[in-house]
Amino acid sequence: MRQYNAFGLNIASEFELPSLISTSFKKADVCIRKGSVCKKGLKNPWRTRPFCQQAPSEIWLHVPEVARFYITRGNEVIVEPCMNSDQQSVRLFILGSCLGAVMHQRNRLVIHGNAIRIGDSCVIFAGKSGTGKSTLAAAFYQRGYEVLADDLSVIDQQLNVQPSYPQIKLWHDTVEKLGLDICELNKIRLQIDKYAYPMAERFCQKPLPVRAVYVLNNHRNDQILFQAIEGGDKLPPLKNHTYRRGYIDGLGIQAQHFKLCSQLANQIEMTRVTRPSHKFEIDRLVESIEADLRGKVLAA
Amino acid sequence: MNCVSTVAPKIYWLASYPKSGSTWVRAFIFNLLNDEQKKFRINDLDTGPIASCRKWVEDAIDFDISELCHNEIDLLRPGAYRWLSENMSQNGYHKVHDAYTTLPDSNRLFPLEATRGALYIIRNPLDVAVSLACFTGNSIDKTIEDMGNIEATTCGNPLKFHQQLRQLLSSWSQHVMSWVNASDISKLIVRYEDLKFKSMTSFTQIAHFLQLPTSEVAIKNALAQCQLKRLQEQEIHQPFKECSESAMRFFRKGVVGDWLEMLNSEQVQSIVDEHGSVMRKFGYLTSTGKPDDSKG
Repeated sequence: MRQYNAFGLNIASEFELPSLISTSFKKADVCIRKGSVCKKGLKNPWRTRPFCQQAPSEIWLHVPEVARFYITRGNEVIVEPCMNSDQQSVRLFILGSCLGAVMHQRNRLVIHGNAIRIGDSCVIFAGKSGTGKSTLAAAFYQRGYEVLADDLSVIDQQLNVQPSYPQIKLWHDTVEKLGLDICELNKIRLQIDKYAYPMAERFCQKPLPVRAVYVLNNHRNDQILFQAIEGGDKLPPLKNHTYRRGYIDGLGIQAQHFKLCSQLANQIEMTRVTRPSHKFEIDRLVESIEADLRGKVLAA
Repeated sequence: MNCVSTVAPKIYWLASYPKSGSTWVRAFIFNLLNDEQKKFRINDLDTGPIASCRKWVEDAIDFDISELCHNEIDLLRPGAYRWLSENMSQNGYHKVHDAYTTLPDSNRLFPLEATRGALYIIRNPLDVAVSLACFTGNSIDKTIEDMGNIEATTCGNPLKFHQQLRQLLSSWSQHVMSWVNASDISKLIVRYEDLKFKSMTSFTQIAHFLQLPTSEVAIKNALAQCQLKRLQEQEIHQPFKECSESAMRFFRKGVVGDWLEMLNSEQVQSIVDEHGSVMRKFGYLTSTGKPDDSKG
């Protein structure tokens, strides 16, 4: 078994997961192994979709032509790769969907967003797919900031973001817009034009408390708008930007999820950032957020 | 998983080649379904997501599909539509720009178990070319070329993320015929030109087909709410959420016969050469094979 550390957990895996940081430990928190996974799904699912089912402590996932996965008790992932599937594809779903599911089962709050370090705390950029979370995190990284997480920001019971692994996934057009050399990056999967931007130089390996959440949005105007979200209004965005929110119902962990969201809402500042959708102005966006952050630090 | 559905299909597909009038029809449906006393706002328009809405499909698939390629996602779409239809509390009216196709695994992209029916709106391709060029920001010549390309897609650029899934349009003619020849589903085919000039008859026919209110008063009220002039006035003050980034405005002229002013004779001939047989079938060519240049 190979040994890795990610999201604050010791992960033992029969699959090589080169994106993760290798380590050595005596006792694994999570074990990922090959095995047979039922074709039909779970025995008593609480929530059923055509390719995914959940029950308390169990998640079943079928990615056609890639693999079937069974994730249980937050400590075991069983993977049955499909015939002719490639390792790279199987790995990608282990790192994303499966580890995301493990974190839900361990009662972590999993926010669909990226986290960067600001001083002794961190800031999360949350938002729907395609709102530019990874682009923004990569732009901050290029300006010397440390990154803790791409895509999934996993928040533990102490309300710290647990670092994920040192890469940001970027679409081909974003790689070019950020001025990166595409020839130096590897595709995350041969079938798609998405690349792994390595964060090795400034990957923050230390868990950090969440200071602020920026909820990204876009509109067809030219302005970049900042709108503070206060009090109880912070809860809906945290719920809405929870990774695979439906899994919460399927796993029957609504109460724990609500508790963590409420605790986090009490601790953080939250701001909705709305940027123009029709033009790519990453410098202006980063500078605006930096200015907003300075205001938050001064006000603290 | 291929589950056999035991419930009646709930999805009416509102299918058309782009810029053929489906937004107008959706506005009509929305107003028929909603309180006609309240002034209709264009950005309230919601008859359910477009079939290619990534979020709608991904919510049913329930795992992250952004790391699958277009062809892989297509194979998951029928299962998603089946599940969505099975879990709808009432009939849904969903816009579609995809051609009606069968996937490499022999499944229909729009499965019978999800499909209650399809309303297909066809518009004179000469007018489509003008309207589509304005919408995309492409030249008319490039638009005409795309309308003849049987592999044409929208949201198909593999280098970037799209909020919508890739849609295979195929050529204008193939698009029309793919839906017209879909013999296993219930269909109503209406011409945009008939919606303009025989509004009451055509929209009443649509309301019947879609199992919506059909009283004269209801149809008249709904049509009054979505008069093009009203929609255009609103768009001056508030950008329409469905407008493309290349277009100045979504609700343009909406007229029949705009091509007479906007296309040169070579462009007209090129469209007629490519799409003549389908144009003739739907009354867009006269008996002598010339484009019908009457405006009504």
